[in-house]
Parts: sequence; C-alpha cells; structure tokens
Amino acid sequence: MNKFLQWFDERLPIVSLVKHSTTEYPAPKNLNYMWNFGSLALVALVVQILTGLFLTMHYKPDVGLAFDSVQHIMRDVNWGFLIRNMHAVGASFFFIVVYIHIGRGLYYGSYKSPREVLWWMGIVIFFLMMATAFMGYVLPWGQMSFWGATVITNLLSVIPFIGDEIVIWLWGGYSVDDPTLNRFFALHFLLPFLIVGVVILHLWALHHNKSNNPVGIDLTKKGDFVPFHPYYTVKDAFGLGVYLIPFTLMVFFAPDYLGHADNYIPADPLVTPAHIVPEWYFLPFYAILRAIPDKLLGVVAMIVAIAILFVLPWLDRSKVRSARFRPMYKVMFWTFIIDFFILGWVGAKPPEGDFITIGRVATAIYFAFFLALPFVSKIEKPKQLPTSI
Amino acid sequence: MKKFAALTLVWSMFVAVTFMALKAMFFPPHVDHGPHIEEQQWSTDGIRGNWDREQLLRGYKVATEVCMSCHSFKYISHRNLKNIGITEAKAKEMAEALDLGLNDPILSLLSPEDAKDSYGKEVPDLSVMTKARAKGPDYVYALLTHYVSSETFMTEYGKQIIAGDGQYLNKVFPGYRIAMPNPLSADLVEYEDGTEATVEQMAKDVTAFLTWTGDPLLVEKKRLGVIVFLYLVLFTFLCYKSYKAIWAKVKK
Repeated sequence: MNKFLQWFDERLPIVSLVKHSTTEYPAPKNLNYMWNFGSLALVALVVQILTGLFLTMHYKPDVGLAFDSVQHIMRDVNWGFLIRNMHAVGASFFFIVVYIHIGRGLYYGSYKSPREVLWWMGIVIFFLMMATAFMGYVLPWGQMSFWGATVITNLLSVIPFIGDEIVIWLWGGYSVDDPTLNRFFALHFLLPFLIVGVVILHLWALHHNKSNNPVGIDLTKKGDFVPFHPYYTVKDAFGLGVYLIPFTLMVFFAPDYLGHADNYIPADPLVTPAHIVPEWYFLPFYAILRAIPDKLLGVVAMIVAIAILFVLPWLDRSKVRSARFRPMYKVMFWTFIIDFFILGWVGAKPPEGDFITIGRVATAIYFAFFLALPFVSKIEKPKQLPTSI
Repeated sequence: MKKFAALTLVWSMFVAVTFMALKAMFFPPHVDHGPHIEEQQWSTDGIRGNWDREQLLRGYKVATEVCMSCHSFKYISHRNLKNIGITEAKAKEMAEALDLGLNDPILSLLSPEDAKDSYGKEVPDLSVMTKARAKGPDYVYALLTHYVSSETFMTEYGKQIIAGDGQYLNKVFPGYRIAMPNPLSADLVEYEDGTEATVEQMAKDVTAFLTWTGDPLLVEKKRLGVIVFLYLVLFTFLCYKSYKAIWAKVKK
C-alpha cells in the first residue's frame, strides 16, 4: 500500500475492506458452477438499475403519455431500444438466475445453521424483486399492464373488514388509474435501492460465515480455501460471458418473446383481454392462487408458498447439508423442482377441465414437500460424510 | 410405516400429476385454440432477414391509399422512410402528396369521434399492430385475406353466424364478427412497379409495411446483434482460458 492510501485507510478503512472481501476472502475451492449464480444475480441487479435509470430520463408516468413514451424510447431515443429491451429481458433473466440461486441453496442445504439469516435476507430480496417486477410491468401501460395490475391489486380486497379500503388507498382512486401509475413508478424506482440494501446484509451475513460448498461439511483446513480474487472473480467472469450470450440473443432477436402481445395494445379499462396472464416468473404462484377455490385462502396459500421458506431451516431437521448424502431428500428435491415447473406451466393455462385438477394436485405436492421434511429428515439415513473435500 | 405410506401417497400423486401434465402437453384437451393461422414467409425472417424495399413501397401505397382513410400510423413519419434507403427529397415529396410535412406523424383524416360514429368503436392505430397480435404478421395477413360472406361461411362451417349492423364476417377473427369492412378488393390500387394488385399481394405488402412501422430498427438490431454475439463468444472464450490458467495450480 502506498503512503497516501495507508494514511487514508487508517482514517477510513475502505482499502482494507476491499482487500478483506477480495484477495483475503477465503472461498471453498470445491465450489461448482452452481455457485456462479450469486454474483450473476448481482450483475443482473446492477444492469436493471442502470438501464432503469436511463429509461426514467425518457419515460412519462402518465396514463395519457406512458405508452407513447415507451414507443418514443424504442424509436427515437439514441440506443433507447437497447436499454429498454435490456431492461425488459433483464427482468426475466434476473428471475431465472435467482430461481437457480434459490434452487442451489435448497439442494446443498445452504439455508442451514449457521446461515439461516443469510437465507432470510435472500427471501426478503425475492419478495422485493417480485413487488418491483410487478410494478415495473405496469409502467408501459399496455392492456396486460392495466389488467394485470387490476387483478393483482384486487387480491388485497380479501383482507377482512378493511380490504376494500386498502385497495382504494393503494389505487389512489376507485380503479387502477393515473394516480396508481404515478405511484407505481415512484415505488418501482425506490424498491431496487431497498434491494441493494438487503443485498448488502445478504453479503455481510455470507462473509461472516463464508460460503457453503457442494459437500456441505464445515471446512477448517486452510488448504480447502482459495482467495476469492482472482480465483472466483475469473470464474464468475467466465460465467458472466455464458450468461450474456443467451441474454444478448434475446435482447436483439426476440425481445418480445417472454412478453405478451396484448401489451402492445394501449391500456383500455373498457376492454378486458380474453386471458389475463401474469409474467412467466409469477406463474407457479399464480397457479397456487387459482388452485384454491376460496379467494381469501388462495391469496394466503400464495403468500405462504413463499413465506414458508423462512422456516425451512427448522422444518429440515437433518444435520447433513448437501443432498449428495441424503438419498430421500434428493428424491424430494427433484420432485419439488418438477412440480414447480408443472405449476408454472399450468399457471399459464385457462382454469378449466384437467388443468384445475393438475393445478390442485401440484399445489398439494408443493406444500407436501415442506410438510414432509420434518419427518423425512428424521427417518432418512444419510450416507457417510467425507471428513474433508 | 405410516410415514412411509404417506410419502408413497404423495409420490404417487406426483407421478400421476406429471403424467397428466405430460398428457395435456402432448395431447391438448378440448381447448379452443381459435382458427388456424397459416405461417407466411417474410423477407425479415431469420437472423439474415432484410427489408424488401420494393415490397415496403407497395405496402406504403396500400397503407396510405386504403388503410389511412380510417387508420393512423402515429409513431411513423415520412422521415423514417430514410432508414429503408429513401432519399430525404423523395420522402418529402411523398409526404407532400399527402399534405404532410416530413416530420408529421401519419394520421388519418378520419377523426376518432367520426370513427366512433361510423364503426361504433375507436379505430386502432396501426403502427404496432403486428406486435399487438399473438401470431404477428401472419395473423394480420390472415385477417386481411379471410373475409367471407355469410353464405360461404354457412357452407364451410355448417353453422350460421348473423353479422349484426355494421359487422362483417372473418374466418380468423376471434368470434368471427368484425367491425372493419373488408378493406381489400382486386386492383384497388395501381402498383407503380407493375405488380398485379391481387388481394393476397396487397395483404402481403401492407403487412410487411406494418412490420416495418412496428419496428423500423428491426434490421439494424439484427446486424448489431450478430456483432455483439461474436464479441461475447470471444470474451467468454478468453475468460474461460484465464479461468483454466489461474486455477491450473489449485490441487483438487
């Protein structure tokens, strides 16, 4: 360290902090590619914030101007199509990355002691992401924006006694309208910075206990670790490249593929689309919502479906972290993943005929995974754990 | 043993629902997918797709001489024609023929109020029409070429659909009844390049034009996308080599 930096660091230890979390931060050397998705999620978040910032410089949150301003961005603003498509495709890719990141945590038992709070912060981020994405989808003010917002905000009317008042308060009127769009824009701008705050807590908790690893045992030997920089920075850079290739292909060649054609029709409160479908990343939870015939219980089930992750560290009583050594949990995990895909698929279908049955059974299995865990983790005989990696 | 029984039950439920889902995926149940929309070939298809300028100019003629009597293209001005290689002078000349300036949006003379009086509903702007329908240009082309008389409809479908006042029958429109009268008939426009103005030809040309109004930068995006893609492949390759080099000394 040169003299000036040393002088500075003694007064504000930023240099030490960077060193501490890069070249001096020990990361297990046996991490596989599944551990790339944490840093990828961070990149995805930063891309969303930067592209979003530039979009706000041209977007107009007004029911009479919003749709036109998006077209203005796509046509007239220099590189506007690029930042807008990166933002729209980026939202989907952020969810893909985060779903894989959560799935990795589930498979390798990263939620277990001493990383419960780290896990909690992750779930909080996920909730905030969903709120942000939902409000962001309203901003282009197309038909799906308007009707998606109407359907989802209406869910709050199930709150006993004060539900209707809450919905009116949220809308700022008696339907989704200009005040709603305006405040959703404000909140869509704010929430990402809250996400950044929780990400810092998430990383703080991570750096306190260090990463879990594919074997799932506590690492004690110095030789089990490598410094995060350059070993994992370079591996993450490679992972970033692999991520950016399909991302770019979507941005340039199929930016609307994950969207809905109806959102190119300006919002019209008098015309309801034939099928109101949320964005793909909400579909599994949308399927759970619709699987329950009672509206209130449906909403509760949908929220519990995610909130139950908070207590996962205590539902799973096995001391073994990694699914590699847990034959029964491994089967449960893959059952759960396939079930989650089925829920996502059925969430996009009209609620009729076989789809209703499939949605209900898949919902039952979703919750059965969590309810069975305490028992399975007790009767399961884990394989012999290795003593080191 | 009870716990095993419960697990077996959940698992057989899982197998059953997976089976049902797979069955529904490959043998869809009686869900109405709507009328079949035939896929068409477009010059902009694929990574190497490009504008067919002659076709776009023919489409422009149909759009301005036929569609524009009711529909607007508010996101498009004649200046945009420069991006398909029309000179500014020529674009200005085309604009003036319509009493428009180079930068004016292409708006119909029919006011929204009059449109509502005539058709009972607002006439949609056509700028992004090909993006606003699930099957895109294929749907727009099919719509323009599938108007039928109620007699033909009766013989083909064996059921009668009564078109109300100000309604017309179209085989691909959801619900078959559409407020827009059949806009195209043979030789409605006279193409300057001598192409025969059949209904199919005009429908094809004007749909290609609508693809352009929907996304005038479409071709530039494809070209740029290829370059960015190649750059990223190189970037990723170099990162991979660096990764292997840096990790070479780490013992497994």
